[in-house]
Amino acid sequence: MLDYPERVLPKDNLIPLLRKLAKDARLIAPVRKSCGDTLFTEIVDVDNAVFDLKNKPQTSLKPFLLPQQEILAKYRVQDGEYTFSPPDAARPTIYFGVRSCDLTAVLYMDLIFSKPSRDATYFDRRNNSLIITLGCNDPLDNCFCESTGSGPYLEFGFGLQCIDLGESYFVSAGRRKGVDVLEKWGYFFRPVTEDDEQRRYQLFLEARGRFTRNVQVDHACRILQENPVPESLLEKLSSRCYDCGGCAYVCPTCTCFSVDDMELSKTNGLRIRSWDACTSSGFTRMAGGHNPVDRRRQALSRRFLHKLKHDFALHSKPSCTGCGRCVDICFGGVDITTFIDLLTASESV
Amino acid sequence: MRDVMTICNYCGCGCGVYLKVEQGRIVGSTPSGNHPISRGNLCSKGWHLHEFIHSKNRLTKPLLRRNDTLCPVSWDEALEVTAQSLRKARDRHGADAVGVLSSAKCTNEENYLLQKLTRAGLGTNNIDHCARL
Amino acid sequence: MVGLATSFGSGAMTNSIGELEGADVLLVTGSNTTETHPQIGRNILNAVDHGAKLLVIDPRKTDLARQADIHLALRPGTDIALINAMMRVILDEDLADQLFISMRTEDFIELRDYLFRLDLDELARITGVSLRDIHEAACIYARSCKSVICYCLGITQHTCGTDNVQAIANLAMLTGNVEKEHGGVDPLRGQNNVQGACDMAALPAVLPGYQDLTDTDVRKRFEQVWGADVPPVPGKSLTEMTHSGPDGDIRAMFIMGENPVISDPHLNRVEATLKQLDFLAVSDIFLTETARLADVVFPAASFAEKGGTITNSERRVQLCHRAIPPIGNCRPDSEIIMELGRRLGCPGMDFDSDAEIMEEICLLTPIYGGMYYDRLAENWGLQWPCWNRDHPGTVFLHKYYFARGKGRFTVVAHQEPSEQPEEKYPFTLVTGRGSYHHYHTATMTRNSRRLVRECPEALLEISRKDCKDLELHSGEMVEVSSRRGTVLVRLEVTDRVKPGTVFTSFHFWEVPVNKLTVDALDPRSKCPEFKVCSVNVRKAAHA
Repeated sequence: MLDYPERVLPKDNLIPLLRKLAKDARLIAPVRKSCGDTLFTEIVDVDNAVFDLKNKPQTSLKPFLLPQQEILAKYRVQDGEYTFSPPDAARPTIYFGVRSCDLTAVLYMDLIFSKPSRDATYFDRRNNSLIITLGCNDPLDNCFCESTGSGPYLEFGFGLQCIDLGESYFVSAGRRKGVDVLEKWGYFFRPVTEDDEQRRYQLFLEARGRFTRNVQVDHACRILQENPVPESLLEKLSSRCYDCGGCAYVCPTCTCFSVDDMELSKTNGLRIRSWDACTSSGFTRMAGGHNPVDRRRQALSRRFLHKLKHDFALHSKPSCTGCGRCVDICFGGVDITTFIDLLTASESV
Repeated sequence: MRDVMTICNYCGCGCGVYLKVEQGRIVGSTPSGNHPISRGNLCSKGWHLHEFIHSKNRLTKPLLRRNDTLCPVSWDEALEVTAQSLRKARDRHGADAVGVLSSAKCTNEENYLLQKLTRAGLGTNNIDHCARL
Repeated sequence: MVGLATSFGSGAMTNSIGELEGADVLLVTGSNTTETHPQIGRNILNAVDHGAKLLVIDPRKTDLARQADIHLALRPGTDIALINAMMRVILDEDLADQLFISMRTEDFIELRDYLFRLDLDELARITGVSLRDIHEAACIYARSCKSVICYCLGITQHTCGTDNVQAIANLAMLTGNVEKEHGGVDPLRGQNNVQGACDMAALPAVLPGYQDLTDTDVRKRFEQVWGADVPPVPGKSLTEMTHSGPDGDIRAMFIMGENPVISDPHLNRVEATLKQLDFLAVSDIFLTETARLADVVFPAASFAEKGGTITNSERRVQLCHRAIPPIGNCRPDSEIIMELGRRLGCPGMDFDSDAEIMEEICLLTPIYGGMYYDRLAENWGLQWPCWNRDHPGTVFLHKYYFARGKGRFTVVAHQEPSEQPEEKYPFTLVTGRGSYHHYHTATMTRNSRRLVRECPEALLEISRKDCKDLELHSGEMVEVSSRRGTVLVRLEVTDRVKPGTVFTSFHFWEVPVNKLTVDALDPRSKCPEFKVCSVNVRKAAHA
């Protein structure tokens, strides 16, 4: 964390601050749609936007930083010669109301897209972004970020982190861009008092006690370092995977993609990158038709092993952030928490 | 980027899906979490719902058969030829010589209009769609 | 649909999709639900996870069948025999719901007497399922008060499709598993708006809302609003039109958003019919195989480029919203129809919006009586019947009484499929949708890069034993022929099909399996027998 003094933002000053910030950048925040869904949405009109800071945004920041379908390059063909031009440059963007799990996922994506070489399209967006998080005082249904070490509050990685104290927000800066906001718009904030500090800590303690799910992520990671996944578990998982790809698409740390060229005309086209899922059979099938992965047995477990075993071995931390988005949406009811529950149960027998 | 709520075009489940629109193009589909059917997920077809919309194989101009090939023509010409030909068939062979197939992929309003046109305009009940297929 | 309408008075899903999750027993027949209706499959599996029993009747060992407590892998085309056997077991075990039968149904005695004359061993032999499994399945189904039956085209696409459905309705009524939440008979509708197209009377024999075309009072009401005469004689069905032949009665056609050249049975005849028409106009978003035969092709706007409503399998009328204007020079079908209507002198073709069209639908269609756009905009639409502006819509059908008054039992007897395996064509070919990734004739899915990658071509599923006996290998091209034609397809050895049966999908124009299928129709529903025909399989000549 940057050693920059924390500040308190009275709630009355939130909209005025966001209005200032939105002048120089695109502002994206969770918005309650008329049909009841909460989505990260571009705020065009600060006064009439229906901000929703209570419910879990249905999507993470992934659709913005790694869109479902994005242009990597534009190409022209003339006399058999290809010329490429880069996509439109990213706009400066401020993300407000981002949850701790989703910021943790962005930090993970930073890692993935920086090796072996920096991904220009991703970092163009990333470098143009300021992320303002909102610590979770009320963990939501299916949340288990405490088990993955990615919430409810964070220590670093954010531009700014806001903690809701009731009448005001307790604001910490984690990166230079956050400090810039505190300095430029200092008059919206007031200094922190001892009371504010105590209140913040109390809320943190209470939040940790409010998780309704106990998912033994750490235990599962340790089991997987030494043991293979039991055959019966593999069988159960794969027999109930219906290959929708939904778990990978809603996951904030699933970064599989594929690249295709899309012909617009005889002379023009786009090189498109789109989300992919390692659970689908076409993902690993080779040109001759051979597939090194037996989908019926391995598709799902490969995804879980990547998150809980391989990434744990590399970073001492699983790449599941406990956001809970994949829980309950699986057609076959075999999401990562089912996997962890079955795995840890089989171990203790 | 805008998210427009609509209903998936594939099967009879009728999932609520957001189409992501950027610069006039549809670049993504995501499920509605609150919708009673989709409840936060789509099947493989639904997640890729946006991919066919801008396919280069889409028809974009009316076509008319001339010398056994389909050639681009104006809307006015295509509509006029169709109206005249349907009228001719009806006048020569009777209203029941005209048949209409409607579509289980089109909206209620379109199906309603087409059966109305068939019954009130062409004067036949020869209308069906692929419910049985 | 005809079958269910005869028994209950209405041909739609009696429950809502969400109700399936609360059922205690789910009997799924003729539906590969997890592949074709993934969200409904999800509800079924959630119910199973909560402890519900799953019974699957399917000749193939589908993914759903693998999850079943009992999988009744019957010989294709023997559904009636199987259901009659289950009902006989229920009577023998005294598990019938006598109170429900006496209060809510009629004509039970005939069915009871018929069932008591049947020989259970004989029925089991016909179906190829063990009597023990039939017995156990029947008892599980009958003992629960919250039993749901889901069926799809595996039941209806037979020459005896209507009878199949009536047999299912009999089974549900015998045990009192209708007219309530978490219990009923649910036909799963295929296309996104097949329910709506039926409701709106894109059908030859009814007016919108299934109103009787031959009823003078009904016609009068429509004539008053439409300002034109409504012909009183039912028209021709789809197959009657597309099979009328080169010199048939149909001389001109307008086809909106359908591809009968691939989807209809006995393709060669469809193609011959369409080619010989005096005039054919097609409106579609792609140049389909059917559009290629047309004299005029209209470029239609896709679903993303227009508004309107569609009605899902659970009778829910939902609003769609336009995301982008029509691409290129495309127009929504509604505009094309109205423009044609004006040029043909059809009155009442001047609506300014979809909402205005819906107002006329509300006026003329009692079950859609309260489906005004401002109401549909709230709460994800409304489920019909919704009689007026104040009506909340209907979650499950037939509460208190069936739509037709009392539910009617119908005696239905097993009949063999129209075509039997024989020496020259020893295999039974079953067709259907065969993938999570494709849809119907795949005009849309095959323009989606990812879906093409996941499922690039059609496969003929064959059992290991048959493959070995024929000295064929998985992955090689084979020739499949029936009395009507031949297609080439790649072979896949699988344990999904039993020896003697082969399966393939109809998604791919390169493998037009409907060149093989019979054009025998169910005499009442006019539904073609897609599911069963006899074929031969052999090594492809130029493989």
